[in-house]
Amino acid sequence: MQGPSIEFEDVNLTLGNTRILQDINFAIRAGDIHCIIGANGGGKTSLIRSMLGQMPHSGKITINWHESRVVGYVPQLLEFDKTLPVTVLDFMGMTCQNRPIFLGVARSRRSQIDEVLDRVGMIGKSKTKLGSLSGGERQRVLFAQALIPEPALLVLDEPMTGLDVHGREILERAIVEFTDAGGTAIWINHDIAQVNEIANTLTYIDREVLLDGAPRQVLASGAAARLFPTLELLDTKTSEAN
Amino acid sequence: MSAFYDLLRQFIIGLADEGIIHYTFLYEFVVNGFLCALVIGPLLGGIGTMVVIKRMAFFSQAVGNAALTGVAIGVIIGESYTAPYMSMFSFCILFALFLNFSKNRTKMSSDTLIGVFLSISLAIGATALLWVSARVNTHILDTIMFGSILTVNDTDMNVLLVTTVITALVALPLYNQMLLASLNPSLAHVRGINVHLLEYVFVLLVTILTVACVKIVGAVLVEALLLIPAAASRNLNRSIRGFVLWSVIFSTASCLIGIYAPMRWDLPIPSGGAIILTAAIIFVVTMLIRMALPQYREASI
Repeated sequence: MQGPSIEFEDVNLTLGNTRILQDINFAIRAGDIHCIIGANGGGKTSLIRSMLGQMPHSGKITINWHESRVVGYVPQLLEFDKTLPVTVLDFMGMTCQNRPIFLGVARSRRSQIDEVLDRVGMIGKSKTKLGSLSGGERQRVLFAQALIPEPALLVLDEPMTGLDVHGREILERAIVEFTDAGGTAIWINHDIAQVNEIANTLTYIDREVLLDGAPRQVLASGAAARLFPTLELLDTKTSEAN
Repeated sequence: MSAFYDLLRQFIIGLADEGIIHYTFLYEFVVNGFLCALVIGPLLGGIGTMVVIKRMAFFSQAVGNAALTGVAIGVIIGESYTAPYMSMFSFCILFALFLNFSKNRTKMSSDTLIGVFLSISLAIGATALLWVSARVNTHILDTIMFGSILTVNDTDMNVLLVTTVITALVALPLYNQMLLASLNPSLAHVRGINVHLLEYVFVLLVTILTVACVKIVGAVLVEALLLIPAAASRNLNRSIRGFVLWSVIFSTASCLIGIYAPMRWDLPIPSGGAIILTAAIIFVVTMLIRMALPQYREASI
């Protein structure tokens, strides 16, 4: 399985009277872990939603697919009615089978679902109601659903939100394994240390592209030094709020 | 189809004749009512789960009110005023499409917009019916709001059956997609689901089944049967399987008990009211169970 390369050319997005993205130009290589970083409200989610065809953007976003065109998407923390009678297994089943989920999970899918739930350490909670899970547990389930069917491109919108150390390790390992096998991952990530450690390339976005390149080069630049104190401050605030 | 109904009716009446089932089943209208209940129960109970999840509780009420205008239009263009299905279906479908279109354009929450349309449809419907009331039996308003399950004929049963088959053929294969689209539209879109189209499909389904049931159980009762059994089932279930299964059981049981009990014990209440009351009792019982049993305990605020 080989993941796609992606090119963003002059991407602009205006919603209402607000300019969200301005002249975005950068490229993602096939098989890379590419992290998108930047301040809150800087347009990161809007950028990947433009790529997924969910925003009225202008400009050109080219995804150069190879044999598989499957996208695994991990949206931002799922907000929904906590009393909804949907178990982890129901949720996994509804994303990947046509048979009505109230008739049960199809046998052909069951082993696949069990396998990915096991990979994210959630196999023991497959009968638990989605609304009873903690934020981090729900995040792991959201990650698990993105692995069925096997994707060529993983799109991750802050998958680590609310995760404990163990959960972070599991997801980190799964993402690295995925790109090692040839897949491409585009990942919105606030954790500079983690980006520095495992990303092949990064793009800093605050309405426009401020930094782009390999973490080591980019983080050593003068522009990065001006930006990162703000980011670190932001990270502390987020963790305090949590 | 009539021959099939006749065969079924003769079989049930035969059972009553031999004393195997209660003698009220000797009457054809009772048998008709029961046959309808056996279809309407699972239909509304099943679709009701999705109505509850999508927070479209009052949508069928709005469509039911729109049916009043449909009847008025039917009378004006000369359709039979006891079964103006063409006018009812046409007007209600246009009404529902317009409602959903407005929802997509204004981005308002469903309950606000449905509330707005509910009042508008009632006002227009009542005005239109009043305007043509010189030409029709005034009971028509009652019939549409509260229905009359014991006066159904073969045409009503045909309309109901066709609607049920359409609903099953469309809703069953699309159930998971609709569920995912209401949980997270963005994720649904990435998985190749046309979220807007599905919304229109669902709105149309609820509309046609509301219209098909209006003559039989009435607009108020359609809404009650879409909501109460699903709400009762939600009180007790953690999985989607239990939620749907018990909603169907509660809804079907309410219909059957609601029709049978007043006749069996000579109670002075109409079948429509008895059906809702049965559903309401089930709801209260499930609520008490939820309050009493420790496994349902949750955060208080």
